[in-house]
Order: sequence, then structure tokens, then C-alpha cells
Amino acid sequence: MQITAEQIEKDLLRPIFKTGRKYLVAVGLATSLVLAGMAAFGYQVYTGIGVWGINSPVFWAFDITNFVFWIGISHAGTLISAILRLTNATWRRPVTRCAEAITVFSLLIGGLIPLCHIGRPWLGYWMIPYPSQRGIWPNFRSPLEWDFFAIATYLIGSTTFLYLPAIPDFAAVRDAAKGLRKRIYSILSLGWQGTPRQWQRLEIAMHIMAIAIVPVAVSVHTIVSWDFAMTLIPMWHTTIFGPYFVVGAIFSGVAALILAMALLRRFLHLEEYLKPLHFNNLGKLLLTMSLLWFYCIFAEFLTTWYGNTPSEMAVFWENVRHNFAPLFWTMVVCNFVIPVPILAMKKLRTVTGTAIASCTIVIGMWIERFLIIVPALDHKFLPYSWGTYRPTLVEDILMASTFGFMTLLYLSFTKFVPMISVWEMKVGLQPRGGGILTTEAPGEKRHGLVLEGPLPTDVEE
Amino acid sequence: MSHKWGLVVDLDRCTGCEACVVACHAENNIPTVGKDQAAIGRTMQWIRVERTWEGDFPNPKVRFQPVLCQQCDAAPCEAVCPTYASYHTEEGLNGQAYNRCIGTRFCANACPYTVRSFNFYNPQWQKPLNLQLNPDVSVRSVGIMEKCTFCVQRIKSAEIQAEAEKRDLKDGEFTTACAQSCASKALVFGDLNDPHSEVSRLASSSRATKLLGELGTKPNVTYLERGAWQDANNG
Amino acid sequence: MERRNFIKISALTGVAATLDACRAPDKQLIRFIPEDNLIPGIAVWKPSLCTLCSAGCGLQVRVMQGDAEVVRHGKQGVIKMGLAKKLEGSPQNPVNAGKLCARGQAGLQVLYHPDRITKPIKRSGARGAGQFQVISWDDAVKELTSHLTALQASKSANVLAFLGRPLRGQRRELIEKFLKAFGAPPAVWYEPFDEAVLRQANFLSFGHAMLPTLDLARADYVISFGADFLGAWNSPVAQSIGYGEMRRGRPGRRGKFVQIEPRMSQTGANADEWIACKPGTEGVLALGIAHVILSQKLAPQSAGTPAASRAGSQIAGWSAGLPEFTPEAVEEQTGVSSAVMMRLAHEMTLSGSAAAVVGGAPLAQTNGLFNALAVNALESLVDAGRDEGPILGFTPEPPLSNAGEPAAPAQASFAGLNSFAQSLLDGKAGAPQMLMLYEANPIFTAPPATKIREAIAKIPTIVSFGSFIDETSAQADLILPDNAPLESWVDSVPESGSFQSVISLAPPAVSPLHETRPMTDLLLGVAQQLGGDLARVLPFTTFDAMLKAALLPLRAQSGSVTATTDDDFWQSVQTQGGWWSAPAAAGLKSAARKPAATPADKQAPTALTAPEFAGSAADFPFYFQPYVTPSFGDGSTANLPWMQELPDVLTTAMWSSWVEIHPRTGEKLGIQQGDLVEIASQAGSLRVPAVLSPGIAPDLLAMPVGQGHENFGRFASGHGANPLSILAPVVEHTTGSLAWAATRVKLARVGGPEQAKLVLFAGRMSGFPHEEEPR
Repeated sequence: MQITAEQIEKDLLRPIFKTGRKYLVAVGLATSLVLAGMAAFGYQVYTGIGVWGINSPVFWAFDITNFVFWIGISHAGTLISAILRLTNATWRRPVTRCAEAITVFSLLIGGLIPLCHIGRPWLGYWMIPYPSQRGIWPNFRSPLEWDFFAIATYLIGSTTFLYLPAIPDFAAVRDAAKGLRKRIYSILSLGWQGTPRQWQRLEIAMHIMAIAIVPVAVSVHTIVSWDFAMTLIPMWHTTIFGPYFVVGAIFSGVAALILAMALLRRFLHLEEYLKPLHFNNLGKLLLTMSLLWFYCIFAEFLTTWYGNTPSEMAVFWENVRHNFAPLFWTMVVCNFVIPVPILAMKKLRTVTGTAIASCTIVIGMWIERFLIIVPALDHKFLPYSWGTYRPTLVEDILMASTFGFMTLLYLSFTKFVPMISVWEMKVGLQPRGGGILTTEAPGEKRHGLVLEGPLPTDVEE
Repeated sequence: MSHKWGLVVDLDRCTGCEACVVACHAENNIPTVGKDQAAIGRTMQWIRVERTWEGDFPNPKVRFQPVLCQQCDAAPCEAVCPTYASYHTEEGLNGQAYNRCIGTRFCANACPYTVRSFNFYNPQWQKPLNLQLNPDVSVRSVGIMEKCTFCVQRIKSAEIQAEAEKRDLKDGEFTTACAQSCASKALVFGDLNDPHSEVSRLASSSRATKLLGELGTKPNVTYLERGAWQDANNG
Repeated sequence: MERRNFIKISALTGVAATLDACRAPDKQLIRFIPEDNLIPGIAVWKPSLCTLCSAGCGLQVRVMQGDAEVVRHGKQGVIKMGLAKKLEGSPQNPVNAGKLCARGQAGLQVLYHPDRITKPIKRSGARGAGQFQVISWDDAVKELTSHLTALQASKSANVLAFLGRPLRGQRRELIEKFLKAFGAPPAVWYEPFDEAVLRQANFLSFGHAMLPTLDLARADYVISFGADFLGAWNSPVAQSIGYGEMRRGRPGRRGKFVQIEPRMSQTGANADEWIACKPGTEGVLALGIAHVILSQKLAPQSAGTPAASRAGSQIAGWSAGLPEFTPEAVEEQTGVSSAVMMRLAHEMTLSGSAAAVVGGAPLAQTNGLFNALAVNALESLVDAGRDEGPILGFTPEPPLSNAGEPAAPAQASFAGLNSFAQSLLDGKAGAPQMLMLYEANPIFTAPPATKIREAIAKIPTIVSFGSFIDETSAQADLILPDNAPLESWVDSVPESGSFQSVISLAPPAVSPLHETRPMTDLLLGVAQQLGGDLARVLPFTTFDAMLKAALLPLRAQSGSVTATTDDDFWQSVQTQGGWWSAPAAAGLKSAARKPAATPADKQAPTALTAPEFAGSAADFPFYFQPYVTPSFGDGSTANLPWMQELPDVLTTAMWSSWVEIHPRTGEKLGIQQGDLVEIASQAGSLRVPAVLSPGIAPDLLAMPVGQGHENFGRFASGHGANPLSILAPVVEHTTGSLAWAATRVKLARVGGPEQAKLVLFAGRMSGFPHEEEPR
């Protein structure tokens, strides 16, 4: 089967110009979840954060679980995309945009949660260092403050990283559109004409961003883990948390990416672009991460068990035997027992197979975040003040609304930006499949490239 | 001379009567939360009397231990607060500036002693119970973390009084509400910088221990262990 | 002024006035000149007196000026007044020396309780339906006097009954004089835990029908038989002060303390050694120890000849060395090993100053008097007291003209209540037709088997002076709310707690917040109105005048106040918060015990009687022990939120009641922590959450008193169950006192934690019982 550049452009720009019934239904559902979340948050602000199930000693629960979860998901995109770009893995082309979008949106959501979770959300801006009447800077010794900077940096970085390669595509939309839409995309495309100079600059900028974003991404989840590891609390105070969180983040992120791709493939009819190959390759990555994740949790729990410190063992048993044992073993099954066989066997590493594995992993990783936070908090040093936790409806709604919000943002994004980078796909049509700078063709008109010829042969299957 | 406030809890004297708990409620405007909130772990106590069972019938043993903010020199709560609501005062107290608190609750999670209380709702005093509120202590609103202050209002007023009279503070001139109410004198408050104060003398006892001292939080609350069983018979 | 301006101004004023009148009445502001000489922001400490138990601790009240929303003459508004901010112990008072217990400190919430009755009210619906209408004080007083006048006129003054909580001091004097002069029978003083048995025993053993005062600070060894002296028994603050000194007040000397009881109390939890014996066999155990001491001649010389001791002579077989009470025989009866008895006997007699104390459940058995006499005999054997007299002594009564120690113990209050109820139920002529109710709530605190609820329902007219609606005052036809204690002239003569005789007395610490009137002034006023004998024996218009008259003779006595004029004396008494005698000199305390010389000695010695229980062991396999908690007492402080939210120190329960069950018993019956269980006796049943506790004998169930109110305001109603409601009306055989620990019960699980709704502070979250980690 042959795909032409025209076909690519037509296929990939279609969602922007056409809106289906299913799409509207999905947007409606997502919006109602978001609205429910906003109502729940309003109720929480009006009544007091006591409408949550948090208590003494479990002062953090669903809120920070969701925070860590979404920040973790954010590692899907930018990090993977950057690494694949840097290693020049050509199969990445259809994947990068949906991945980077996940990053930006889940960071947005993750970043909003701390704002909603504080006792006085209306004062959340006090985390920002600015010369104020209070005459006091934020406390830079606080890991929460580190979070603020880490997340802000990562959000700015990954937004830029998403935006840069989208400029040529914005230009493509601009050229295809009329009226208001044309004007908007004119602004978004920043006067992109596709001159060699522009291509060169874009290439350089993307290289710099790709290199810079990797350490940022790693640091973000390390810093998130330090929210816990910097305290003295048993099963929190551990050096493995940094790498463990990064591994977990990439793990859940890749799973989320596969899920998103599977959905896009199905609903945007991108079977020609998101091929089993991509799922296969990402599946291998997911397998690696699953093994790494298991290694981390094994190392963590083994050292705890072997050390046999009473205060840590209280949390340990809480996880593996007592109140939280059902959740704990569900997590192990979801993150390891189910996905590893699926992903290890080539036959099962299909679109459906990887999607199923990803689905369990996303659930498993959410539970993992929860189990990191709650059992440690409810079994701190002094047994007299041990407690436990049960979420309330408000927290359930807020959690659901984060998923709704993600869906809504993602759906909206498909309306504005081609979910697969049009120009990169076109580059992929070149037999050489190489860098853009070498592919200047005579018939170039709008986007700098006229690409013809057969489908790239670097797609092996 | 600067002060370093400390408290000694003699576990051999403590009877578990909880007079200190009520005294603290009265002095510091600590709200009661009601049955439903208490049932889900929202009780607010700046000082609590922990009870530990050891053994079983017919030889059960009980230990009572009042636990309050340990006013650590190396306090885990202070470093983690992003807005400096938890901070270290010049006199070594773990201060809590209510108006700076945005309610991240990080300090409460970081505290190994679980001695911080959080206002999950706006506190309620059904009229006219509000008339009992101590005007020297601010009433905290929803979303704010609070904890034992070593009755900083009493410290300050005694210091101001002494300064006005151009003299040094005397040991025992004032005390915290909990120590004031303690009939068996299990709680003794004073200046650890004053080598002659009762609290200094007791804190150097051979029975002195720190709660979770191995964590290196350097508490300013000292516990005196119960007497050994054999001690009783030495006349 | 120009005409135009004048018109303008008048128009404006007119409009303003009209608008003003349009405002809702509750927005109207009353601002008075402050009635107190208080400087805003400056705290003043005023003396007062704690009335929440009978210990009579002195208070100092922190008073500051503040804005209070009040209602005066039907108008709502704000006034500046002195407000009580905190209660602390009065440092001068010899009983509590600056200290105050948890319950005492919560007295503040009695004053500012939102459920207080703020104005006189009159029943408007059916009796007990809780419908009342507000009436004016004039009408209320008129109504009261008209009832009394009617009784007087119909020559049936003897049908006036007065039911109250036992008091010590001029309030009691006032009531008794009033009743006597009116021609009514003496007041019925009722409290469920009235210590009549102990008073009787102390009268027989030591010549004093009083509760003992313990000088624990000097003790080297204390053995307590069920006395919760650090919790709720006798004078807990004074005893806690002494306990601290006994433990660590004397360098190098740490007193040992042994507690004997089948359910570990808060006091028992502090003991070095806690020994469980079978309920009701405490006396046998005491005599077992005494037997060892007597047979091995271990008694300290200074204790005198054992055989001659007055307390010993009350026990049959004492002078013969208690031949029946060999350690082996006692072991069989009590379940305490003979080796322990021997060791205790040696330890006690080797220690410098030893004391044996009895209180609580051992006295609430059918053989309570025997138990008490036995422990008293042991006490007299071991308490040599060294230089300063025995550890256990008695507070000298203050030299008041109208006070003085009772020559003989008063009737047990349960017996009094029973005959009161019986006379009503029988409906004989002369049964009470009008009841005055004061600080007693027998419908809650008396076992339903007394039928007190039915009896009270038969009284045509009930007048209550209570500050709150409770189960009993809800039956009232007329409620004339008393001032809170902090708003009143208060006095008390503590029966124990200090070896100085003490009269605690104080003027109101704050002005009345509501439109209430002191019951004392009310009675005096009525006495004046009724005239005759009443006006003659009570020639006062206000209670403070009566107090002053009573105390002035003390000026001549050596005591805490030295003054040259009566006015100075009275002023000093008020600022000091009372009067107390000079500290007792060495040797004086031992004289507090009377030698064997009174008619009581001629009574035949008491022989061993075995405890009897209501219900057979087959049908009702468990002993049942209600116990008094420091928070709630007899239940009259259950409406204070501080007390409700104060975790019970052993179970950590709040806002709940519970039954303590040994884990093995629980396992046998399939009962887990927090389950709902049903406890049934012959007399009734109740449902309550279970708390598994290692500190209770497996054949015993224990339950705190105070909860289970059906009608006691927003904070107390609807929590838990009342253990007194299933007590069989068994009495101590000799005194007729309620044997509240002599009911047997059965136990079954009826529900899970969801139904039980137990709130525990430890472990924080209820309904999620924490599992122990594997060992």
C-alpha cells in the first residue's frame, strides 16, 4: 500500500476540520466529569477540606496519589520523545506528538492538584517567590518548593518541546484553513515559511530542547519522590525513591502513551500511521520498565524486610499482609504478573496485547502511588496514633475529574493540532529517511518539502 | 541571657489523669470536633496521653505517656514548610505562624510524633461556649495546621513583665497550662539555659530519655523513665 | 439655627428613627457601662470553688472583660462583662494546692453551656414531653410560693419533698433549715456512689463516719483494694499530689504501690503490682495478709498491740490471729496465690510507712461492710505512721456552730431514695405531693428497678432548680434555673483531702450571663415571704449574708485568716476563697483516729460473709462492674464537650460508652474490638460496643457510668448506654447501700462495628480495627 504526502496531509489534518458525533459525545462526557470536579472542589473550598477522607495521621491520600500519578504519566512523552529523537529512532515519528501532548496535559493536571489539595487554596500563590507585602520568600529548603520549580520548569520545557515541531504543521493547517482559523494558525505558526534557514533553526532548537529536557524530566520525578524521601517517615525515608520514582514514572508514562495511541488509532482511523510496529517497540520498552519497576520495589522491600526495623516493618506488614494487602497484591499483579508475559511474548505484543497490559499498568501504578503514601502515613513511629484512611465521594469525584480533564484536554488538542506530525511523516517518506536539512526538493512550496515515493522501508515487520 | 524552653515529663509521676489535655484545650482555644469527626480521626489535641499495654491478664502492665510537640532543635516539620509557617524561634521553639500557613500538611506528615492538629473545618463553638475563648490566643480557621506552642503567650507575657520590671525571669514564675494543672507534678516546664532551674536539674537525671531520640530530632521534651520494679522495695 | 436646616435635620432624624424602628429586634444593641472593675485585656484571677464532685477543690478563675451576647428583659444585645476564661486550682487551698483535675477544669463549660436553661420555664405540654414556656421571674416565684402556701394552709407541709445531691456546707444547712421550719420531712440526698458503706466502716473502725484523708506523700507502701484514688474516688486531686510525692518527691525513696481489683482502673494502671482477686473477696484477701502479719508477728511496734486495735476488734477472730484466714484458705477464695500474700505482708511491714485503702467496687458488694472493715483492720495493723501519724487519717471538721462531725453515719442514700419511691408507689397518705429537685438526677442514676421514674410521675407538682434539662428535671412542672456555680456564692466543707479543716467559700466570679437566680437566694426569699418560723430561722435575704453569719465566729479560731474586724475577716475569706485551720502539728494526725471508747465498739464483731450476686452463675456467667470515670462522675458532666472528647485514658474511647471484655472471653464468644454486644441481667439489658482489654478478669465485664443519657442536651443525649439501668436492686446487707457491683450478667454479640459506632482515639479511625502485626 502506498501513502502519498497528499494522503498523509489529508488523513492527519482531517480531525481538525471534521468533527464526528462520537467526538462530541466524548467531549461531553469529559466535560461533565470536569464540571463535577469543579463543583466538588467548590464544595471543598466552601465547606473545608474536611469533606475529604484525610485525617490525622493520614494527611495526604488521594490528592498526592493523583499528583504523583499524573506527574509520573507526564514522563511518557517528552522524555521518550527526546530520547528517541536523540537516538534518531525513525519509527518514533508517528508517536512523538501524542506522547508530548500527554506530558504537557498531565503536568498541567498534576501541577493543579497541589493547589487544590492545600487547606487554603486561595493562598496557593504564596509558593511563588515574588516581592510581596509579606516580605518573606518561600522556604527553599522545602521539597514542596522544589516541586514547584521542577514542575514549572518541566512544564515550560515540555510545552516548548511540544510546540517547536508543531510549527510546520500549524503552517500546514494555516494554509489549508480559511477565516478565523487561518488567522489563529497564522499566529501559531509564527510566520513559518519553510525556508532552509527556518528548518535549520528548528532543527537546532529541537536538538537543544531534546538534550535539555532529559535531565529535567529525570529531576522532576526525583524531586517528587523527595517529598517523601526527605522526611524521616518509615518506608519514605529511603534513597531508592529517586530512581524508583523515575522508573515508575516512565513505566506508567509509556503505558499511558500506548493506551492513548491505541485509542487514537481506533477513533481517528490512524491505522496506517500507528502501526503494530510502534506498539511492538513501545511494548518492548514497557517490558523493560516493568522489569525495572519490579527490581526497584523488590530491592526496596527486601532491604526493609532484611533490616527488620520495627517502625519500617509496621508499614511493610501493613502493605503485604494487613489492611492494604489486597491493594498491594493487586498492584503486583497489575504491574508485573499480567504485563510481563504479555509483553515478553512476541505473539501477544500486539496492539490489543500492549493496550491490555498498559491498562493494567496504569491502574497498578495508581495503586502503587497510593500505597507509597497512605500505609506509611498511617503507621508512623508511635503506634498510639496509627490510623487508616477511607476516601470520600468528593475525593472520588476529584480523581475521576482528573481523568476527565486529561481526556478533555487531549480531545481538544486533536481539534487544534494534528496528532501525528505531518511534516515528520513526510520526511519519513524519503527513502533515506534522514534529517530534514538534506532533503530539499525542487518542488518545495509551502512546508519546505515535497515528498514523494514509497512508504519508508525502515518499517520492518 | 537567652532562654531555651524545655519540658520534663516524669513518667513515674504521671497518673494518666488527662488534666493536662483539658488545660491545654482551655488555654489554647482548641476546638472539640464532635463524635462524627472524632470517629474519622479528626480529634484535635496538642497534648495527648498515650497508653501502651504490655502483657496480658493476670499481669498486664500499662504505660502512660503524655506526648506533645517535642519542640525539636532539629525539627523535621520546619524544613518542609514551603511558606515558613513552621519556623524556629529565637528561643528554640518550633513556631507555627498561623497566618502564613496555607495548609500543605507536609509538616504533619514529616513529624515523627504525630503531634500536629489540622483544622479540617472552621472550628465551631456553639454560643455561648465561645465566651470561654482565651483572648490571648488566636482562633485558627479552616485549613490551618496548629500544634503545641509551649504556651508561647504565657512565655511572652512573663518575659514582657520581667522586662518591664527590669529583672530576669525567675524559675517557676510561670509555667505552661499543662504543667500548671498537673497534680502529680509529672510535667515540669522551665528554662534549660538556667542551670539551676528545676527543669535543668530533672533533665540531667539518669532516668532521662528522649522520645524517638535516635532520629536525631533533638527534642526539648525529656522523659524520665518509670522507676524499676525493684526500686520500690528499697525503703 | 436656620429654619431650613432645622427642617432638614428633623427630617433626617425622623427618617433615621423610623428606619431604626424597622430593624429586626435581634439587631438591637444594648451597651451597658461595664459592671466589673476590669481593665480590657488584663486578666484577673478570682477565687471560686469546684462543685463538679464532692472533693470541694478551690478554684481560681481567670476573668477578663469581653463582649457577651445576652438577653435582658426580652431584648437581645451585647454587653461588656467579666468572662471566665480558665479554671485553675487555688494555690492556697489545702485540698488541691493549685491543681485541678480534667473534670474540674471543664466547669467552664457548665457556665457557658449552650443548653443552659436561661429563664424560668413552666411546663406547657404533657409531663416529660419537653414542652415548656418561658415565664417571668415574678410569675415563677409567685407560682412557687403559692404552691408552698397552699401546702401550709392545708396543714400538709409534710408532703413537701426535697431531692438533692449530697452537699456539705451552708447550702445544705439552708435547705435543711428550710424544710424543718416548713414542717417538711428531711431532704432525700441521693447519689448512686454514696460511700455510705465506707463511712459506716470508718465509723466502726476508726470512730469517724467520714471518708479518709490519705497522706500519700509520706507513704512508702500503699495497698489499695479497689480504690480509684487517682481517678474518681474521694479527693483525686489531693491524692494525685500526694502520689507524685510518694513516687519521686523524696530522693532515694520511691513508694511502692499495689492495687487489688479485678478490673484495672486508671489507678491500677499506675500500680507497681496489679493483682486481680475475685469480686467481693477483697476483705478476705486483706485478712489473709493480716493473718500472715499476725502469725509471723511482722507488725511494726509503733502500731500498738494488734489485738487491741479498734479496727481489729471489729473483725471476728482478730484477737485469735484470724485462724480461718490462712493463706491457703484465702487463696482458694480469692484466687490470689498464697505466696503473693506472704510477700505483700513482708513488703508492707518492712517498708517504712504503709497504708491499706479500700474504696469502689469492694464496698458495692452485698458484703461491702465486711470488706471495708477487713481492709481497715489491715490498715490499722500496718499503718504505723512513724513520727507524723498514720498515712490514713481524717480531716477535722471545722469549728462551725452548725457543722460538726455526724455522731453516726447517715442513712445510705439508696435506702432513702427507695423508701421515698416506695411511699409514692404505695400511694399512702402523707406521700409527697410536691417535689423540689436540686442537682440530682435519680431517673438516670438509680436503677430502674427502684421504679423512681414511675414514683416521680405520681407527684402532682415538681419544681426543679436545675440549670439543664436532664432525665429527671424534664419531668418538672416548673424550672427555676439556678446560677452556674461560677456565678454564685458557693461554699463547701471538704470531707477529706487535707488534714487541715477547710471551708471553701467564694463570691461569684462572674455576673450571671442569663436571667437565672441563685437557688439559695430564692429559698431565702420564699422563706421571708412565707414568714413565720421560716423567716425566723432563715433571717437572711441573700445567701452571702447567711455565709457571713456562719463564718464570722471563725475569726476567733486560729486559721488562714487573721483579722481584727469582722469586715476584714469576711473580706479576707472572700479573697482567699475560704477559711482553713492552721496546718496540723506533728502527732496531731494520729490523734485523728479515735481509740476504742465509743458505743460502736460494743457492737458484735463482723464475721466473714460471702458476697452474693443477683443472678445465678449458670444463667449469667459474668460479674458486672459499672465504674465511675473521672470525666463523667455519675453522669452529670456528660454534657460537657471537653469531657466527651477526652479519651478514656485506658480504652481511649470518646463520645461513646463501651464494655470492657477480656480478649479470651471475646474470642470464646466471637466478639471483636468494636463489635456491638448485648449485656443482659435479671433487671434488663443494654447494647454497647465492646472494647477488648487485657486489664480485666475473663469472668468480669466492666462498663463506665455516665453515658446513655436519653435527654441531657445536645452533647450527651444518644451516646452509649447506661450501665446503672441494668442493675438489680441488690443492697449491701448492713447499710442498705446500693450494691452496684453485685449484679451478674450474660453477654452476646449482636452486631458489628457499623452498628456499635465505637470511637477510639488510639488507632484514630473507628470501624477499622487494627490488626496486630505477627510476632
